[in-house]
Amino acid sequence: MPIAAALKVLVVDDQNSVRQMTRISLEQLGVRHIHEAENGVQAMDTASLQPLDLIISDYNMPEMDGLGLLRAVRGHPSARRIPFILVTGRGDRELVVKAAQAGANNYVVKPFTADILRTKIEQVMGKLS
Amino acid sequence: MTSLDQLKNTFFDECSEALQQIEHGLTDMREGHGSGDTINAVFRSVHSVKGGAGIFGFDSLVGFAHVFETVLDAMRANKLPATPDIVDVLLPANDVLTDLIAMSRAGEAIAPGYGSESRAALERLLGKTGDEADDGPAPADFEGLDFMPIMAGGFDDPPAPAGYRIVFRPKPDMLKRANEPLYLIRELRKLGTLDLAAETEGLPPLAQLDPDRAYIGWTGTLQTDAKREAIEEIFDFVSGDCEIEIAPLQAEPAADPFAGLPEAAPAAEATEAVAPPPLVQHSAPSIVPATAPAEAAAKPPAAKQAATTMRVEVEKIDRVVNMVGELVIAQAMLGQIVHNLPEETSGRLAQILDEVVHHTRELKDSVMSMRAQSIGAVFQRMPRLVRELAAKTGKKVRLEMQGENTEVDRSIIERLGDPLTHIIRNSIDHGIETPQTRTAAGKGEEGTVKLIAEHRGGRIVVEVRDDGGGIDPDRVLKKAREKGLVSPDAALSEDEIVNLIFMPGFSTAESISDISGRGVGMDVVRRNIQDVGGRISVKSERGRGMTLQLALPLTLAVMDGMVIRAHAETYVLPMSAIVECLRPSRADIHNLVGGRGLLKLRGNLVPLVHLSDLLDLGTVNADSDERVVIITDAGDGTRFGIIVDELLGHQQVVVKSMEESYGTVPGVAGATILGNGRVALILDVEKLSDLAVSQTSPFARLGNAEPAGAN
Repeated sequence: MPIAAALKVLVVDDQNSVRQMTRISLEQLGVRHIHEAENGVQAMDTASLQPLDLIISDYNMPEMDGLGLLRAVRGHPSARRIPFILVTGRGDRELVVKAAQAGANNYVVKPFTADILRTKIEQVMGKLS
Repeated sequence: MTSLDQLKNTFFDECSEALQQIEHGLTDMREGHGSGDTINAVFRSVHSVKGGAGIFGFDSLVGFAHVFETVLDAMRANKLPATPDIVDVLLPANDVLTDLIAMSRAGEAIAPGYGSESRAALERLLGKTGDEADDGPAPADFEGLDFMPIMAGGFDDPPAPAGYRIVFRPKPDMLKRANEPLYLIRELRKLGTLDLAAETEGLPPLAQLDPDRAYIGWTGTLQTDAKREAIEEIFDFVSGDCEIEIAPLQAEPAADPFAGLPEAAPAAEATEAVAPPPLVQHSAPSIVPATAPAEAAAKPPAAKQAATTMRVEVEKIDRVVNMVGELVIAQAMLGQIVHNLPEETSGRLAQILDEVVHHTRELKDSVMSMRAQSIGAVFQRMPRLVRELAAKTGKKVRLEMQGENTEVDRSIIERLGDPLTHIIRNSIDHGIETPQTRTAAGKGEEGTVKLIAEHRGGRIVVEVRDDGGGIDPDRVLKKAREKGLVSPDAALSEDEIVNLIFMPGFSTAESISDISGRGVGMDVVRRNIQDVGGRISVKSERGRGMTLQLALPLTLAVMDGMVIRAHAETYVLPMSAIVECLRPSRADIHNLVGGRGLLKLRGNLVPLVHLSDLLDLGTVNADSDERVVIITDAGDGTRFGIIVDELLGHQQVVVKSMEESYGTVPGVAGATILGNGRVALILDVEKLSDLAVSQTSPFARLGNAEPAGAN
C-alpha cells in the first residue's frame, strides 16, 4: 500500500495554471513530493534523472505531447516502469485507446476533482494511505 | 489575493498567449499559408483555453471553446478544408472567445446567448462533417470505453516479454579469425530490441592487453518475435569460436498491455541510471550483477534537450531593473570620488571602476532584453480591429504587418496599444476610401493598411501606412482657421498644415462617427507617445495615402545621457537626440536680432538657441568663447544647435519620472540622480525645439496654449 506522503509524482502540462491545480489536488491527497514539467521533453529529463513513482501528464502539449512522452518513458531503460496516467480532454476517446496500446496505466478526463484523481491513482497504485 | 485567484490570473495570462497564437494562426490560414502545423497550433491553443476554463469553472467559456475546438479538430483531421470561407467563420469565433475570456476575467456575468451567432455558424460547419459538438457536462470516464486501469508494475512484476536471454562470450582467438563480435551484435539488434551488458571482468590492465584477443563477453536479452533459428543463424559462422546460450524468456507471448515493451528494470536500478542510457545496458540482473558500466560501443547519448525558456514574474525582473538603476547611480558616485582622488591612488581604482562600468552596462542590457517583448503582442490585436472597422464602414481593407518580432521594452508595449488602435481607426475611417471612390480614382477596391516595426538608430520605429486619400491640406487649414487654431494670415507650408492634426481640439471628421470620433484626437495620441519618450510624425501625399511614424525609445528605465552645464545648472540630454558636439569659431556664428543665431556648419545653416535663454536661467554672456554647441535632431530630421556652457561627460542615467509629482513640464522628460548625488533634469529635445520656435512661428499661441503642468 503506497504512502501518499512518500510518493514522488511528476505533473506534466504546458499550462502553469493547470499544473498548479493538479498540484493542489495531489496535495489534498497527501502527496508531498511533486515535480513539474512543461512538456514531454522536460518531463523525460526529470524522469531520467530521478526515481519517480507516478507520472500524470496532459496530452495536449507542444514539443512532445503526452503520448510521445508515454512512448519515450516506456522505451527508457530506467523510467519505463513508472506508472503513467494520461490526462485527456473529454473529446479524446480515441486517444485513450492509443494510450492503452502505448502502455498507459490509466487516464483521467479534464477537468477532474481531487476525488476523481484519487480513484484514478488508486486504480494504478493501490489504496493510498 | 488567494492562491486560487492567483492561479486564475495565471490562467488568463495563458489565455492571452493562446489568443495571440490563435489570431496569428488564423491570419496565416486566411492568407493561405497555413500548414497542418498551423491548424494544430490553433487547435492546441483553443484546447488549452477550454481545459483551463473547465478547471476554473468558466462554463460559458468551456461551452464555446468546445464547439470552436471541435471545428478545428475536424479541420485537423481534413474533414473540413481550411478555405477562406471557413476561416472567416473562425475569425469572429476567436473574437467571441476573446470577449468571453475578458468577461470571465473581469468577473462579469455573461449573457446566456452571448456569441450565439458565431456559435451557430461554427455548428453549421460541423453539420457538414457529421461531427457533433457535444456540450454536456464532462464525464469522469468515457462511457462504453473498455479501459482496464493497469496496476503499477512496482508492486507486482509484470510478466516477461517475448524474446530470448542471450549469453555470448567470444573465445580469446575469435578476433584473430577475422570475426568481429560487434557485427554479430549489430545483426542481433536488427531482430528486435537488444539489451546487452558487457562482462568486463576478464579485461586485463591496459599494459597487458593484447589488442588481438577477445576479452569481453555479453549477456542480456533480445526482445523479439523472431524464431530461435534466426538467432542461431547469426552465430552460425562463429559457433566454434564462442560460447553461446539462447534461452526463451517465457513459454507464451504475454497477453498483456505491456507486451511489446522492453522488460522493466527493477526500481532499485532506476536511481542509478543517471547518465544517458548506454546501448549495452544490463537489464537482466539475475544473470549478471552490475559491476562496471558498459565499455563497448555506447549508443550516442540521446540528445538531451534542456528547457530553453522559463517563465518569470514581471515584478521580479522589474526589481532587477530597479537594482541595476541603483547600481548605476552608486557607480556614478564612486566614479566621482575616484575622479577626485590624487592620481597616484586613483590609477588602479579607475581601471577597476572602468570594468565595473562595463559590466554594469552589460547587466543593464541583459536585464533589458529580458523585459523585451516582441511588438507582435500589440500587433496581434489589430487584425480584429481592421476586420471590424472594415465591416462597419463598408470599406475593403487589408492589413499587412511587418517586423512583428521586433523587440521592445514591456513598459512601452503596454502603452503602445491605445495610440496604435487610434491611428488605425483614423486610417480606416478617414484615410481609406470607399470601394467606389477608390475605383473611380483608379485604385484597387481594397485599401491597404501597413503596420511596420523596425529597429532604427537605437530606437524602435513603428509606421502605419495607408494607401487612402491622404490628408487634404486645404480642408485641414480651413478647419484650423475656423477653430481659431491658426491666425487667418499665417502662411504655412504643406508640412506644417498636415502637422496641425496634432493640435488639441482638432478633428476633421465632418460628422462625429462611431469610429474615431470618440472625443480623442490625434493630440492625445501624440501625448501618449511623448509620454513614453517617443515622437510622432506624419507624412501625407494627397490622393496617395499617409504615413504616421512613431519613434520610440528602446527602454524607459536607463538611458545614455550627455551631462551638460548651463550657468550653474546641470542637465542631461539624451544621447539619442544628439548628432554632434562642437566648439564653433566665432566667425561661424551669425547673431540675429532677438538673441538668436545661426551656425554655419559645413555649408548649412543651423538655428542656434541658448539653453540659458530657453530655460530662463539668466543673462547669457554672448562673448564667451568657451561655449559648446550641441547639434540635436528633434526626431523629424530638423536640426538645431543648443548652446551650453560645458560638457560634463557622457554616462548612463537612470530615468526617474517626475510626472506623478509635477505633471508634464514642457521641455523636461524626467530627472536623474548624478554621481555627486544631485538631481539633474533630463531635457526633452523635441519639446525644446518647440519652445525655441514658439516665439517666432505662427504656432506661437499654440506653443503656449498648453500651460506647464497641464495634463
